[in-house]
Amino acid sequence: MPGPRLAANPALHGFAWPLAPRALHMKMPLIVIGLNHRSSPVAMRERFAFAETRIPEALQLLRQQRIAEEAVILSTCNRVEIYAATSLEPSAAFAELKEFLVTCHNYREPLADELYVLTEPQSLEHLFRVACGLDSMVLGETEILGQLKRAYELALAHRHTGGKLNKAFQRAFNVAKHVRTETSIQRGSISVGSVAVELAEKIFSSLNDRDVLVIGAGDTSEKTARALLSRGARSIIVANRSYDRAVALAKDLGGRAVRFDEWYGEFETVDIAISSTSAPHYVLNREKLDSLMKLRGNRPLLLIDIAVPRDIDPEVNRMPNVYLYNIDDLQTIADGYLKQRKEEVARCEEIIREKVKALLGHAGPASSRGDVIRDAWCANANPDQ
Amino acid sequence: MWFTDRHFFLLAVIVYGFSAAYSVFLWRKGFRKDDHVNYLLLLFAFGLHTTAMLRRGFSLGRCPVTNLYEATTFVLWTIMAVYLVAGLWPRLRFLGAFASPGLFAIGIFALMPGLDTPHSDRPGLPVPLTSLHAALILLAYGAFGLGSVAALMYLTQEHNLKFHKLQAFFSLMPPIQRLEATVGRLLLSGLILLTVGLAFGAYDLTHLDNPHSYRGDPKIVWSLGVWILYLALVILRRSAALAGRRFALCAMGSFAMVLLTFWFVNLLSPLHNP
Repeated sequence: MPGPRLAANPALHGFAWPLAPRALHMKMPLIVIGLNHRSSPVAMRERFAFAETRIPEALQLLRQQRIAEEAVILSTCNRVEIYAATSLEPSAAFAELKEFLVTCHNYREPLADELYVLTEPQSLEHLFRVACGLDSMVLGETEILGQLKRAYELALAHRHTGGKLNKAFQRAFNVAKHVRTETSIQRGSISVGSVAVELAEKIFSSLNDRDVLVIGAGDTSEKTARALLSRGARSIIVANRSYDRAVALAKDLGGRAVRFDEWYGEFETVDIAISSTSAPHYVLNREKLDSLMKLRGNRPLLLIDIAVPRDIDPEVNRMPNVYLYNIDDLQTIADGYLKQRKEEVARCEEIIREKVKALLGHAGPASSRGDVIRDAWCANANPDQ
Repeated sequence: MWFTDRHFFLLAVIVYGFSAAYSVFLWRKGFRKDDHVNYLLLLFAFGLHTTAMLRRGFSLGRCPVTNLYEATTFVLWTIMAVYLVAGLWPRLRFLGAFASPGLFAIGIFALMPGLDTPHSDRPGLPVPLTSLHAALILLAYGAFGLGSVAALMYLTQEHNLKFHKLQAFFSLMPPIQRLEATVGRLLLSGLILLTVGLAFGAYDLTHLDNPHSYRGDPKIVWSLGVWILYLALVILRRSAALAGRRFALCAMGSFAMVLLTFWFVNLLSPLHNP
């Protein structure tokens, strides 16, 4: 989400202070201030968001005001965070950073505990957790790593990072890679559409030469078809009671539409069928499919029934080379993956703690959890005070 | 030297046994990770196995396939060699967990007394040709054996997919369509090797006096039966009349039949057991 408030903020104009020499601040701690999807609602996050084009200015201001010697701003739809290396005392630095944030975005409402602040070693643990997707809304997702890299590269390109942040961010990217290869935190799909794709990949050698039939142009079937197309499915055939809707979706997906009473004739060639009609009875049963399977030369057939009530008679799953999954089956698999990811969190945390210890170069125990620490001063803070 | 090639093979079978026991844990874990421990165990066992075969081969001065013990160890060695090559690709390393219990059982069988009889070549048969005949046929059985391992993998994964088991998704198994294709290719390769091996055998027979008298030899009749069986499997698969689960079951059943009757038929054959 963009952060349109920055442009209107007069505090970002007129840079008056010289930049502090970096060599003086090699022992500065890394601190973090920010808000995320857990600490604040979207209405507040969008107020604090930074548009990417304005971030260099904000970083420049942070350094000119001597709040930070080095800084990186991460602004995504789920979090706004400032990573800073500062020579100020942490409490003073946090007060300055908070003031900077509220002034920057012209935020006048009172703040409760939406903002969190962290200092070492929790700040490093937090950075590593963010890079690994452990702090994301979708546990283990990888998009955040790309966003973090872009935020860092932006700061680096404008020379707002130094030895401290360069080392911390480079290490965070390495830890994310390490966690990805050593654990299952990013394995598997946790959405119905992605599970359907993974299911197809467990059955077919390749999706490149697979034809997909969509019966009933619903939202989930469209998403599933799109997911299959993105993984290389050859063609999409759409059948819908409303032929116009079928034509529109087929055009959108780059496929072709057939009339609803003609989909049966397509079964001989398709490999994957996604059904989501609103029919009150089964539209495909064992008797119908039996004759079709002979015509198909016993090639495997994946049937995804996401309709409620169901479109496909569960009996067809007993037929050789037919694999039927309904919406509950797909959801169970997605939940299974999510459970697996949750089970991996402890291992990831362990790796992160070890890496933070190694980075800080001491054997003292880091915090047992990389959780957000909220300072008391945040609780009743008022930007107007 | 008191430590003979059989001792090396015995050690190899013991390590195969460790691998088989370890495989039970891998099955329970559901093949979620590439397992290099099992691969290294099997690699070590293969080293011992190869040493045993080399020592026997050098002592005989020919390919060591002169009796049931040697034939069995040769088939075992072939399957293991193919697995070790496939296992260089980490995603296929878990194949060992499917193969090692069967290989351990075959190894135990090979060590049974009475199979390792002193070899006695039938006079008049050229040794290189006979060795080639035996080696090709045993390689064919190795391919059939690997085909049955791939078929077992197919059946496991197909069952998990049919019954919506999470293990189907968490495991590193290849897609079932690829597994089915692999079974088909292995059976075809085995059939080609068997055909060439039998052709060499037929040519070999012409060096004997009155070769027609061996027409009814049990091993020859059995070998032709095996050849027809696998030919039928390959043709039915090519014509799509046999596919999926049934094809995998047929591949496994055929190899089980070969395994269960090979030794018995060999003992009955005056030509192969002079």
